[in-house]
Amino acid sequence: MAASAPAIPRRRFRLPFSPWHLVLVPATLALIFPFVWLVVTSVETPAEALHFPPVLIPRELHLENYPNALAAAPFGRFFLNSAVVAVTTVLCNLVFCSLAGYAFARLRFLGRGLLFAVIMTTLMVPFQVTMIPQFIITKWLGVHVLAQVGINHLGALILPNAATAFGIFFLRQFFKTLPVEYEESARVDGASRLKVLWRIVLPLSAPALATLAALTFLDSWNNFLWPLIAVTSTNQMTLPLGLATFQGGHQTEWTLLMAGNVMSLAPMLLIFFVAQRYFVRSIAATGLAGT
Amino acid sequence: MAAPSVLLRRRRTAEPGRGRPAPAGAGRRRPSRSEQLTGWGFVTPGVAIILLFGAVPIVWSAVMSFQRNNLLTGNTPFVGLRNYRLMLHDPVVAQAVEHTFVYTALFVPGTMIVGLFLAVAMNRKIRFISVYRTAAYATMAISTISEAIVFIWLFDPSYGVINYFLSLLGIPQQQFLNDPSQALYVIVAMTIWGWTGFSVVIYLAALQGVPQMLVDAAAVDGASKWTTFRRVTLPLLSPASLFLAVWLTINALQLFDEVYLSTQGGPLNATTVLVYYLYDQAFQNFNFGYASAIAYFLFLIILVVTAIQFRVGRRFTHYRS
Amino acid sequence: MRTHWLSLAAASCVVALGLAACGSDASNGGSGGGTSISIWEGWTGAEAKTFAHLVSVYQKQNPGTTISSLFVNNDNTLQKVLTAVRGGSPPDIAYLYGSWAPNVAQIPQVVNLTKVVQRPGVNWNDFWVGERDVATVNGRVIGIPALVDNLAVVYNKTLFAQAHLPVPTASWTWQQFVSDAAKLTNPAKKQFGTAYVTPGSEDTVWHWEVLLWEAGGQILKPGNKQAAFDSPAGLMALNTIRQMAVADHSMYLDPTDSAYANLFNSGKLGMLVTGPWDLSGFPNVQYGVQIMPSFPGTTGGHQTISGPDNWVIFNNGAAHTAAAEKFLLWLTAPAQVKYWSLHTGDLPTRHSVTTQGFLSAMNKALPGVDTFVTNLGNVHQARPQTATYPKVSQILGTMIVSVLLGKSQPQAALTSAAQQVNQALASSNG
Repeated sequence: MAASAPAIPRRRFRLPFSPWHLVLVPATLALIFPFVWLVVTSVETPAEALHFPPVLIPRELHLENYPNALAAAPFGRFFLNSAVVAVTTVLCNLVFCSLAGYAFARLRFLGRGLLFAVIMTTLMVPFQVTMIPQFIITKWLGVHVLAQVGINHLGALILPNAATAFGIFFLRQFFKTLPVEYEESARVDGASRLKVLWRIVLPLSAPALATLAALTFLDSWNNFLWPLIAVTSTNQMTLPLGLATFQGGHQTEWTLLMAGNVMSLAPMLLIFFVAQRYFVRSIAATGLAGT
Repeated sequence: MAAPSVLLRRRRTAEPGRGRPAPAGAGRRRPSRSEQLTGWGFVTPGVAIILLFGAVPIVWSAVMSFQRNNLLTGNTPFVGLRNYRLMLHDPVVAQAVEHTFVYTALFVPGTMIVGLFLAVAMNRKIRFISVYRTAAYATMAISTISEAIVFIWLFDPSYGVINYFLSLLGIPQQQFLNDPSQALYVIVAMTIWGWTGFSVVIYLAALQGVPQMLVDAAAVDGASKWTTFRRVTLPLLSPASLFLAVWLTINALQLFDEVYLSTQGGPLNATTVLVYYLYDQAFQNFNFGYASAIAYFLFLIILVVTAIQFRVGRRFTHYRS
Repeated sequence: MRTHWLSLAAASCVVALGLAACGSDASNGGSGGGTSISIWEGWTGAEAKTFAHLVSVYQKQNPGTTISSLFVNNDNTLQKVLTAVRGGSPPDIAYLYGSWAPNVAQIPQVVNLTKVVQRPGVNWNDFWVGERDVATVNGRVIGIPALVDNLAVVYNKTLFAQAHLPVPTASWTWQQFVSDAAKLTNPAKKQFGTAYVTPGSEDTVWHWEVLLWEAGGQILKPGNKQAAFDSPAGLMALNTIRQMAVADHSMYLDPTDSAYANLFNSGKLGMLVTGPWDLSGFPNVQYGVQIMPSFPGTTGGHQTISGPDNWVIFNNGAAHTAAAEKFLLWLTAPAQVKYWSLHTGDLPTRHSVTTQGFLSAMNKALPGVDTFVTNLGNVHQARPQTATYPKVSQILGTMIVSVLLGKSQPQAALTSAAQQVNQALASSNG
């Protein structure tokens, strides 16, 4: 065999595309398979949806399920409610969890460790047990503090989740991975801690912030149990509660429910599709290329 | 967004009298007053909300666990440790503990490994990468009921696809959700599928913190791809791994939705996990005091497991500072 | 650029909170001067439309009253109601499963309707006896029947024809059921004679309890303190389903309570013991409906079991209670019951509605439902109205599933379950 430059590996054959596609395509198929069922059911007739094993190739596309689903209940309102709650929750989380996460990661103050532990413990008790006290607290706040955060208001869906232990924990872990030299040198330059957070740490944390935003949005959008308990009139219902109107005790309107599910998924997928570009930063932005 | 590189000029701190700044958290210097105040100032908004809506209900529930409470009347007499004593003698609690632990031990590593593998695969700029990543995320977005329906069908003993493939391999028909010894594993599969997206998203974000420089340096030094991964990338991913391990464990120990929507704890309690059992006690048997006691017991378990994870994690995680 | 981002974020926060604030009008407040009552119900599809229509008719006839209904899936209503009760804000009316009645009766805010249903014109005895039994706890009437059903056998005419079997007649026996099921099973076509749901929940249990009653047995002894199912009748009932599940393999076991109806609709099941609510889910098969088989030589006959649900009123003050009672009495009056049944296919909750014309009209809309209606006459008793029934149900559920899975022998399972039930009943306060 002729000698070749040692640094260039010789390939026997070249695929016209990256070999990773061979891994990702089957993986993706396995991941989206339930969606195939979901979408197919949403364009079937109700009779076709009542088959077991499920029918995966509908005879014709019944797209009228979509407008029918929208017309069955005030979905425009539900969508707006869900959007308001989700967007506000995400924004509040980004602000509060960045502040607290940074403090837990970098600042030292009396009781830091204990406080962090206490916050983590709030993740450890299931909602079935805490929902009654939470209901009572929310009701009290609505009566004695601010009506908009009381029972049957969107504020009641926003406030309990405006900051989560998950967000604080996640950002704390992420902030700790950042090289502290940048922050220290800015401090030496006389920047306040808030400025350091705002101008140095957060820009470096774009992937983590985008991730937290996407996950918080998802959690808020799909949240069912607390809105079920806290909402007592139809015009305050969120999307998951609205979709539940297709599920009766004995019968479920599967085609409408799945059409509704597809429409509910679409904004989330769109947001993720946009956000995931920020999940992956170009290396140039870190400034590590030049030292 | 303006590139922050302008602010990232590394400065050698060569001024006399100032040594190298100590890494944060080393505790070698006393935190200044302003640092204390700033620290408290930063945490207060978030912590206040979490304590009000999280900690207060937990304390409340603790009180309820010492009562006999059927949720129907306001009559909730204190019964001391009676609920806890009942728990020790309840065979279903023992089964639920076992199932919860088995489930967690399979689910957490499974999800982390699958997620890590896919995140590494998706951390590159090839065509359609946005589609692949969105597909991973989508598994988190799908409603649990849709997920449950599809998996129930896939694993149906007579009509399901899994048994069909197994029959092609000559394996006899498995009973899956009808078999007390297999049902829990079906739930494991279902939930690993559902949480893969989360794992991928976390690892993807963390992979951005792995400087390409280090990876390239290792390659130049002659390390194989696998060695580089094991000795450079993995350690740098350790904070994310710790986070995932803790978060997935906390969630796995509180498994409920998938069990409720598929097997309802059956067959013969094979998929009864602690949260499902306490829900059943609270809202089907009206033993809310007992349910609160079970919740507290679970809380202690989660607390201990998480503390152990943090302790062990501290030895294995490398924070760059 | 970054500052822009910040102000944008802050602005959207403000806008969002503003929307949240103005968006939340308390729609529970009726127009000044009138009463507004809130109802939590779980109607979907045709039932939802019919209910909305009836509500609007009532509001037109009673201009001072506003009825705001909130959809809550029936399975979730208990959690929501209990939380609301503990928080001091129960609804005025809620739709609650009959199986919860003995416990719901203990809620202090539940209104005692005993005198209300004795008012002239209400005709309490016009409601089927099974419903009245479930709405009454310890002599107190705590609900007005909202829905009634019962179990009968739905069979696939095509599969019977293919197997050259005569279709079930009104005098058929369980022996015929078992042998029909065996003949209708075809492993090559993945076809089963019948199905049984095995999550171990009440759905598992009541499908067996009906056999127990038909065999002449009882669930609990009078006084509800001791098990009575550990009897020859219990053994006969258990052996019948065991035969099909374990010996003949003619019974499809559905551990998730979700596949059996669609299986029947896909022509994979020969017969199904189920209720009228499933009929609308069988558009793809030629089905027939027949009353339950009997065990010859026993006192049980062809009796069946029913699962009525209740409208329950919670006390939110005299004005609300009076308005709620008025509305419910109107809603459950014969005219509205007839309208409801004809438009939804649900069985009529009142006896007087079931004229011949009514039955044929119902049957035209939903074939086979007339058998379910007349089958209401075969409901002679209700399940034990005791607060510990959920515990009894769980023990029975485990017993049935373990026998069906072949994990235990019927007699041993019965004895063990009876012991556990006796223990549970003894340690409770009744």
